[in-house]
Amino acid sequence: MTTPPNLPEASDGLSGNGRVYSGLNSSYFDGDAPVSHAVTLLVDNVAQVLEIGLPGSAQPGVRWPVDEIRQLDDTAGSEGVILRWTGDPLARLHLADPDLLRHLPHLNRRAPPKGRGRLAAWALAAVAGVAIQIGILVPLLADRLATFVPPAGERALGEATFEQIREALADTGLPPLNTCDNEDGLAALEAMLTGLGVERGTEDAVKVFVLDHEMVNAFALPGGYVVFFRGMIDAAISPNEIAAVMAHEVGHVENRDPTRHALRSAGSIGILGLLFGDFAGGAAVLFLTEQLISASYSQGAESGADEYAYVALEDAEVSPAALGDMFERLRDKYGDTDGIVSHFVSHPTLTSRIDRSRAVVREGAQYGDIISADDWDALKAVCD
Amino acid sequence: MPAGWHHGASRVTTSLTDIAPPPVPEKGLDVWFVGSRSALFWLALKSGFWTVLTLGFYRFWMKTRLRRWYWSSIRPGGHPLEYVGDPWEKLLGFFIAVVILTFYIGIVNLLLMFVSFSLFQSSFVGYSASFLGVIPVWFYAQYRARRYVLARTRWRGVRFGLEKGAWGYAWRALVHWLITICSLGLLWPRMTFWLEKYKTDRTYFGSAKLVQGGRWPMLYRAAIPFAVAVLMSGLIVVWLVWLDPLIPNSANPFGDIFSELESAEEFGFALFGWDRPMRLLLLIPASVLLIYGAVHYRFVTKRILADHKHSDGVRLHSSLNGLRVSMIYVLGTTIAYSILVVGLLAIVLLVFGLLGPEAFLDEQLGMGDPLGDFPKWLAIGIIAVSYLSLFLFWGVLHHVFVTFPLMRHMALTLSLHNVAGLAQVSQRARDEFAEAEGFAEALDLGAAI
Repeated sequence: MTTPPNLPEASDGLSGNGRVYSGLNSSYFDGDAPVSHAVTLLVDNVAQVLEIGLPGSAQPGVRWPVDEIRQLDDTAGSEGVILRWTGDPLARLHLADPDLLRHLPHLNRRAPPKGRGRLAAWALAAVAGVAIQIGILVPLLADRLATFVPPAGERALGEATFEQIREALADTGLPPLNTCDNEDGLAALEAMLTGLGVERGTEDAVKVFVLDHEMVNAFALPGGYVVFFRGMIDAAISPNEIAAVMAHEVGHVENRDPTRHALRSAGSIGILGLLFGDFAGGAAVLFLTEQLISASYSQGAESGADEYAYVALEDAEVSPAALGDMFERLRDKYGDTDGIVSHFVSHPTLTSRIDRSRAVVREGAQYGDIISADDWDALKAVCD
Repeated sequence: MPAGWHHGASRVTTSLTDIAPPPVPEKGLDVWFVGSRSALFWLALKSGFWTVLTLGFYRFWMKTRLRRWYWSSIRPGGHPLEYVGDPWEKLLGFFIAVVILTFYIGIVNLLLMFVSFSLFQSSFVGYSASFLGVIPVWFYAQYRARRYVLARTRWRGVRFGLEKGAWGYAWRALVHWLITICSLGLLWPRMTFWLEKYKTDRTYFGSAKLVQGGRWPMLYRAAIPFAVAVLMSGLIVVWLVWLDPLIPNSANPFGDIFSELESAEEFGFALFGWDRPMRLLLLIPASVLLIYGAVHYRFVTKRILADHKHSDGVRLHSSLNGLRVSMIYVLGTTIAYSILVVGLLAIVLLVFGLLGPEAFLDEQLGMGDPLGDFPKWLAIGIIAVSYLSLFLFWGVLHHVFVTFPLMRHMALTLSLHNVAGLAQVSQRARDEFAEAEGFAEALDLGAAI
């Protein structure tokens, strides 16, 4: 600093307990005109005020109580500080001499945030808005609209999603994951569909694919796409279990669950991106992919598809308990949280669904197999 | 510090009896810049760290603190600018914007996707419409954010301000963009000028209104380097494709080159069959020149526009150097990236050392998953923390090596000429502005500071 050492105490009788500080290079701004005022500085120890005199100005000086003086935060540069008084939001003292600061006890005391009630109200509104939107409004609208999407639109949506999933599951830089195309195996799947009484041969008919991947899962997409992973077929010990899963997925298709789901995520993803901002924008994309693969439906949609499957299986003279058998094997093999997570395995109410499938079995009914043993062998070899 | 005041006073006066003569008006003011890089580094790192820890909520405080720091570094006539924005009001503004925008974005996106699939059988139309629909809101938010920042900026205790007019700005910006696109970019300077004039003519310092003078054709000279770069790239492409083709005797030279460029594997082989493929290296200086041209245009137009800004009795002058700014951009970004890459390599080596080389090999062969033995939440947690830290570090480096030198150069090259009018300025009323810059925050605008 270029300022001289402290000037001697005032001896002119203005204040016996006052201490004068150099106002050299300091300036005062009154918060009205952008004009710098030269200052004289005096700390009155009795009255506990800082007297800022404004020589050469038409204005009288000002008195700031020392315990109500605050320093501006995060100021760049090492020379000088800027002071303000809590009683005047506009006036500023640019202080060059830091010696004075030791008389100011609460330089860094913060004021409580203003309008906390209002802030809390809007925070609540924001949380409620997002919750209502994602939890109620978007699903409600999606459910209504899903029934109006024409079949061609659904097929396009399903096709696009199917391609995305195949690309996401393939390693980077490689072509999309293969579908299995062993003709005998596909014929066995066809026989299974016919056995379940699913509509065949039309444009809107269900299309079944097997993806060459070890994941134990199956899912339905808009436009009647039902997709099995090879791992699912490997894990089954009887064709009836595959038939049960297929009937369940066809149930989703019939109830248009995949279309609803796609519309819901179109509405919800934008909101999530909005909330997290560029800070975690990429995470929203990851979330989208995750959602596509492990498409988890609401509990109601799952039991709806289960009910559809029981009826279809019953009509095909296959025991509905096959669905429960399949669930049980998956649960025993993979547990609830570990390993490859399929939406069957991770579903919390799996046990009740297993029990339910066994409960709908008619006493003394004669159940058979959905396809012949030869067809079952062909299906097991569909990816070879 | 402003000199020329009489500092003989050892006598303390709290009331003045004699009326002093009015102060002699200053002739002109230079702008100083006092902040140091290391102080900024620690401030950015510290506040960025809290932002990561609080899952992003601290970003309102981070932004406020960084702005306070930058503003107080910039000192026209030795007196710092002051940023008085409050993090709590930013948080409130963000909540308000979320409430309004969730309904817009959620419901509108859903309807658009529905229409897109029902009528056009593809998601593309829906996504495009959704994107186009956000553009006016984007301009609106940009203007509102500027209004908020100006309303919270003071110099010598006097507030800046921007008049209302965000929707006016949004539709003008849309029309100007349309004209610019239709004219293949030839009328870009016209857009730059008129949009800047719209904003400047609504800007106040206290009671003083700022005016943007000049005419739009004056900005063409800032576009010369970019025009040269475009011309040069065009000539190179014409030479390589039609005049002396890379692929001799091809019926469709352009399409063939692109189809071969697309598949990287074929590209390697194709190069051998091409005629003097080294000529492709000419595209490197051309693209460097394009980047320089773009930065030059952006900042030299700022200089020209600043030179034509004035208020009653006050003139602005800028001597900003386009080449210098481009160097700051290129060098700063390069330095920031290099440090980031070195840091990433260090992390990879650390993982390599901890898990052993087999983990990587297995991953490559698709035999195992190095994180497979961990519980899923832990793996996700580690990935999330690394992702956020990377984001944080990139932000800090960008502040230190790009934003800081840019601000410094822009501040130091700016000066006020003929400031006699300052004495006539008086304070303006506070612009309350409940939603602060919430819309810009929600739509990710103005991420710099």
